[in-house]
Amino acid sequence: MNHVLTIQTKNQPVVLERLLQVTRYRGFEVAGMEMKPMADFSGLLVTLSIVSDKPISLLTNQLNKLYDIEYLDCVESELTQAEAGSMRA
Amino acid sequence: MKGAELVIKLLEQKGVEHIFGYPGGAIMPIYDALYQSKVKHYLCRHEQGGAFSAIGYARSSGKVGVCMATSGPGATNLITSLADALLDSVPLVAITGQVSQAVMGTDAFQEVDVLGLSLAVTKHSFMVTDVTELEHTLNEAFELAMSGRPGPVLVDIPKDIQLAEVQFKPRLVEDAASAQQEFLPTAALEQARLLIQNAKRPIAYIGGGVHMADAVAQLQDFLAQSPMPSVTTLKAMGTVPPSNAYYLGMLGMHGTQAANHAVQQCDLLICLGARFDDRVTGKLAAFAPDAKVIHIDIDPAELHKLRRAECAMLGDLRELLPAMSVPTHCEDWLKHCLAMKQQHGWRYDHPGERIFAPLMLKQLSERMPDNAVVCCDVGQHQMWVAQHMSFSHPRNHLSSGGLGTMGFGLPAAIGAQLARPKDTVVTVSGDGSFMMNVQELGTIKRFRLPVKIVIVDNQRLGMVKQWQELFFNERYSETDLSDNPDFVSLAAAFAIPGHSISRKDEVLPALEAMFTWPGPYLLHVRIDETDNVWPLVPPGSANQDMLTEKAQ
Repeated sequence: MNHVLTIQTKNQPVVLERLLQVTRYRGFEVAGMEMKPMADFSGLLVTLSIVSDKPISLLTNQLNKLYDIEYLDCVESELTQAEAGSMRA
Repeated sequence: MKGAELVIKLLEQKGVEHIFGYPGGAIMPIYDALYQSKVKHYLCRHEQGGAFSAIGYARSSGKVGVCMATSGPGATNLITSLADALLDSVPLVAITGQVSQAVMGTDAFQEVDVLGLSLAVTKHSFMVTDVTELEHTLNEAFELAMSGRPGPVLVDIPKDIQLAEVQFKPRLVEDAASAQQEFLPTAALEQARLLIQNAKRPIAYIGGGVHMADAVAQLQDFLAQSPMPSVTTLKAMGTVPPSNAYYLGMLGMHGTQAANHAVQQCDLLICLGARFDDRVTGKLAAFAPDAKVIHIDIDPAELHKLRRAECAMLGDLRELLPAMSVPTHCEDWLKHCLAMKQQHGWRYDHPGERIFAPLMLKQLSERMPDNAVVCCDVGQHQMWVAQHMSFSHPRNHLSSGGLGTMGFGLPAAIGAQLARPKDTVVTVSGDGSFMMNVQELGTIKRFRLPVKIVIVDNQRLGMVKQWQELFFNERYSETDLSDNPDFVSLAAAFAIPGHSISRKDEVLPALEAMFTWPGPYLLHVRIDETDNVWPLVPPGSANQDMLTEKAQ
């Protein structure tokens, strides 16, 4: 199953590393990532495309605990298995 | 004032009385501010020992433990202890000095990316880059360490921040009454009560979360109002008093036979502040196979993580347990569990003259003063302590559970002794574990701490050797410690008296001598290298498939 996580974070330099560290450690694969500062530079907007056979709640529950995360939304993505496979290759 | 002075003022304001650490270049301004402060600093002999002392302090008192270290090696030496605190949910604040921001990122002397290193071993970590943020950051660190599921928080403070001028505006004392009222999950509680009422074979599976929520009394009330058997994890030992007839002991890999069989046979598993750790469940798919599960935890990520719960509740056990109490209807099941407990009771009639560690630990448990704290290390002796000693409160049994860190016991005992100066503190260590933080004998000597040290010595890395014997064709790779030092002489070098015993009849007089000696004391107990911990659930097996001594 593929998912897209939309995440709003505090504006902390280490926040991207935290997101990626938790995602990797919990056994999920990042298939794509976008980041941009919010309009008022008060935080970051991060979009993570995640590939995994495991329930996505196992990741979102962990990410939601991060102190720097202010908002997290998760939707099933339109990323195809073939695209996901090519990213793994 | 300077940033460094603010750090110490804030610790004083928070009521921090004891901190543990080791100075160095990048944290010298903070150590300078500490000089003649009301905060008492305990100089340890290694940063890992200092942080374990802070953990022992926190676990035995329920307060936040605080430790400090310098940049580079000072900070890296904290990492193992931070991981230990994370895995066992211990509230800890670690303050590290860092090189000045002007040279950060240039591979400066004693510079390492502490913030990067901290990601996997802390609940959260901060680096202070502006001195005006220092006070808020430290306040956040203390609040985060204690709130929700407790854990370690690291604050990295560059030297230029420590030296920068800042105004300190002490926070007003917060109004406790302003705490938000939490709403109880009414529907889930109703479902839980129904499950308990209808269960024929309910059992409470109790973890460290119960005492960390300060819900020991509520748990005991719940078990009184909803009578059912109970089992505990390693961290929760002491939550249910040994006098509770239906308490079956620790479950899991080295759990009691009664506890493991009862959990495997139950039809309702009530998991309270525990997390289905693999050392508890054995083969997860075969764990409590016929049971519906009620799971209560303060950490949402633990619910449904490893075992789907029919009824999952997120929240405070102090509130939820009283609301879940309901009469049970399981008299036959209670009788069955009592019978199993009697059938599988421990035996201490070991033949011969040599010391049988389980009996020695039972005797130690019986001879200890009330409310004594026992700090374990990791290995066979740790499991024997869990099996054969009794505890009246989980804060009296400190054991490295999640990380299983050898070297935990001695420094943790130092912290516990400082947190509870009126209580006796005993560290039970193995000959392997003891040597991992042996330098902390220097801390015991310096502060004249009356810690009692019991070394259970089989001249082996016993637990690894046991696995080599059982699962690696008796190929004893690198587990021989027969060239151990003379532990009594080693203690004497730190002005700690000691005694060595090897015969069963020497145990009681030796315990008497140890407990009547007013200061620190080392008791060296020689045991046979062939003694193993039983029962044992082999890796990958279900918990009912325990190996027992008789079967070997």
